[in-house]
Amino acid sequence: MDREITNLRNQAIAEINESKSLPSIAQIRIKYIGKKGSLGLITKRIWAAPERERKRLGILINETKAVILTALAERRVEFEKPQNDTDLTLPGTKHEVGHKHLITQTIEEVENIFRQIGFVRRRYFEVEWDWYAFEALGFGPDHPARDEWETYTIKQNVHPKLGGMLLTPHTSGGQVREMERARPPIRMLNISKTYRRQSDSTHTPMFHQFEGLVIDKGINISHLRGTLEYFAKSFFGHERETRIRPYNFPFTEPSFEVDVNCKRCRGKGCSVCKGGWHEVAGAGMVHPVVLANGGVDAKVYSGFAFGMGIERIAMMRAELGDLRQIYSVDLRYLRQF
Amino acid sequence: MNIKLADSWLREHLNSKASPQEIAKYLSLSGPSVESLKRVRVDWVYDIEVTTNRVDMVSVRGIAREAAAILPRFGIEASLAKIPFTPPQRGNMKMPIEIKNDRRLIGRIMAVAISNFENWETPEWMVKRLRLSGVRSLTLPVDITNYVMLETGHPTHIFDLDKLGKKLVVRESKKGEVFVGLDGRKYSLPQGAIVFEDGTGRITDLPGILGAKNSVLTKDSKNALFFIENTDPVRIRRTSMKLAIRTLAATMNEKGVDPRLAELAMIRGVEMFAKLAGGTVSSNMVDIYPAPKAIKTITLEHGFINERMGLKIPKLEINKILTALEFTVSWRGQKLSVTPPSFRAQDVEIPEDIVEEVARIWGYQNIPPKLMGGALPEIPHEKGEFALEGSIREKLVLLRGVEVYTQSLVGEKDSKSLELKNPLGADSKYLRTTLGPSLTAAANENLREKKFHLFEIANVYLRRRGRLPEEKMMLAGIFAGYNIREAKGVLATLGKHVAESIEQIDNYLFYEVPVGELKDILKPKLYAPIPKYPPQVEDITFKFASRPRAGEVLSSIANTKLVGEAELRYIYKKAYTFRIYYQHPDKTLTNSEVEKIRTGIINVVTGDFGGELA
Repeated sequence: MDREITNLRNQAIAEINESKSLPSIAQIRIKYIGKKGSLGLITKRIWAAPERERKRLGILINETKAVILTALAERRVEFEKPQNDTDLTLPGTKHEVGHKHLITQTIEEVENIFRQIGFVRRRYFEVEWDWYAFEALGFGPDHPARDEWETYTIKQNVHPKLGGMLLTPHTSGGQVREMERARPPIRMLNISKTYRRQSDSTHTPMFHQFEGLVIDKGINISHLRGTLEYFAKSFFGHERETRIRPYNFPFTEPSFEVDVNCKRCRGKGCSVCKGGWHEVAGAGMVHPVVLANGGVDAKVYSGFAFGMGIERIAMMRAELGDLRQIYSVDLRYLRQF
Repeated sequence: MNIKLADSWLREHLNSKASPQEIAKYLSLSGPSVESLKRVRVDWVYDIEVTTNRVDMVSVRGIAREAAAILPRFGIEASLAKIPFTPPQRGNMKMPIEIKNDRRLIGRIMAVAISNFENWETPEWMVKRLRLSGVRSLTLPVDITNYVMLETGHPTHIFDLDKLGKKLVVRESKKGEVFVGLDGRKYSLPQGAIVFEDGTGRITDLPGILGAKNSVLTKDSKNALFFIENTDPVRIRRTSMKLAIRTLAATMNEKGVDPRLAELAMIRGVEMFAKLAGGTVSSNMVDIYPAPKAIKTITLEHGFINERMGLKIPKLEINKILTALEFTVSWRGQKLSVTPPSFRAQDVEIPEDIVEEVARIWGYQNIPPKLMGGALPEIPHEKGEFALEGSIREKLVLLRGVEVYTQSLVGEKDSKSLELKNPLGADSKYLRTTLGPSLTAAANENLREKKFHLFEIANVYLRRRGRLPEEKMMLAGIFAGYNIREAKGVLATLGKHVAESIEQIDNYLFYEVPVGELKDILKPKLYAPIPKYPPQVEDITFKFASRPRAGEVLSSIANTKLVGEAELRYIYKKAYTFRIYYQHPDKTLTNSEVEKIRTGIINVVTGDFGGELA
């Protein structure tokens, strides 16, 4: 009987190997494994064998069955493989996916870039006291930014120490807040919504800024340049150049404007840039008065700060011309990013 | 503010072979930003942005001075041209008008009478230069005052002396006083503007901002009063903004013009009146300058400059740079004493200001970019709010959610709303306390689409007494074309209570929950052993006569003991098919054990929920 079983197995495997299609595999299965198949018939004859042989024969039959089943399965897989004549140019079926907003994507990218050099992300208040937004930053009482047609103010009683309540016009208010929260070394990235009372093709009343603040011993202009260059190369591409130019802000001394060279003309000057460069940020070394207002000893520590518009850098990279488009809720726009 | 000036004019004050392109490029790198350089016939025009602290550069002289300091660092020779300084001749007449100053309002007054103008025609070259600077030519004497202002950086004015009356009294305006400008427009003055009056109450000038119609110099005027006043910048700004009179003089005066520049302006003016208009000085020179401000000397260490720049800069270079900018420099060992020129006295006050001057002229491009080393800050771990928001977005986007950003300023309000004092319009008067209206509006803008899910993560603002409002981060969203099961299915990935917060707005399904309530999403997951024994699975269908509470039925089934999992599979008319997974952690359930559980479920669904086994 042993030989009979072995023959059966070899025969089955031979047939499986020669089979040409899925239906023929099914037939082979019925022929050998099916209820009335060859193995089944042999099984019924086990009773005719001597009792001491029965167990061994049973195991052998089961093993044979397993081998045949495995061979069948493997052969089936081969038939189910893509055929060589598949039309590889067939278009894929379309899958609709969701979309994170361009602003979110930009914020996340900025956060990741700065996290790599040790910046901690914060989100300070959108509704803020005058002290943090202006006074502590050295804005004089008649500074134009405080004009009622520049900055939104809130109908609310004036705080005896902190002044009026307003919608923060910049993320710089986070500087003194951060100094109050933590002692140096400070590497802060404050990203938040900001507001200015303007609405036209280059201004929306609500927009987003990010503010970098670094305070430690021995921080100098070359660190500011290094940080801005690291960011610009990470965000816009390693081939892009940055430069800083003199500017004036109440809360930094010296102050700078930060430019990135134009992708299109590489600094030569063209219709989309200003003489080969794009202004992307304001920056500077933190003013000693601001350090003092944040309780930091300006004799021991120095720092730099910079502020950039999320929308501005997002638009530059996406080559999106009209700021108002960024806040469109039209799905045909939202699905592009 | 911006100043436009002709290259030919600049060259009268700047000795250099630099091309206009080089001047524009290098000024931008180390000084004021040249926003454009345009060819106009044989000349060039620079359009230059001057920052508010540098009103000294709102002049040809000021720009020339900067260029003379900057260009040599780029290897181009340059120097500031000397102005021949001839003090004006004294006239015979004693100043015929009595000038009564108020030193709180005006820090310095220089005035002289000029008589017998012979020529009123402005020469072509002056008309052109003024035009290139954006100033319209009027009569020669008036053009000269504008020319002198642009050249020296101090605004000047000329009156018809005979129209001024006997006195010129400096005083504050009273609210509602009427002033008629030389443009013929009537202005109702605010309280506290600086005005001149003739002693009888008649206002004869709005100094520093706009001349008056009643004192304007015309071709039939015999005697003129050339007048230079250094006004209080704060008052000028307030008045000029309130009346919306933004003359070049006002935008300069509100930034604090150096009173010492008045002398240069006076000399240039008198010289030009004589040379071009034939006007002669006919009175003594009045100079009322009660309290010249002392200029502060700043002392600092050589090392301080090096530390801030991140490189070593030789003393000799520091000297060269500061001297070119007309600062006075003296060293004592490593200590440096610097006195700025008068026209820089108000913006150079602390050692950091000296660093700026040295660093920018040395060239920011020559300071190598370098990342800082040092210890990293402590990381605040308490919240993880950004990770949470990121995680919520990931989940919703995977399920085809589309994120929007809508405005936080809205037209709707409730009892917690903050109101703006100065809104742009009625539709943006309040800070929102819910994202509902904004998202409904967003959905309405996409009616061409059949099925979508918009969501937003943004703050709402809830008023608190005497404190800043609570800025509460919300997750809100709106489904269009989704049925309730689909919408809940999406939200269930964030937590059951998000799914349960759905409400109906118009044809939409809307939800809004505080992000802070979803913190569980970030909880590290714990491993649950995979059951060793297979569950028994079966579908049971119930019919309900009245409206079923299918959700409650399902949770009741799911919470039955030894039921591992349950789901609602199909709904067909009033028949609801539930799939039930019977599962014992330690063994395979026998048929009779399953039978017992099943009976329990059927009893509850028929008894408590009015179902009937189908």
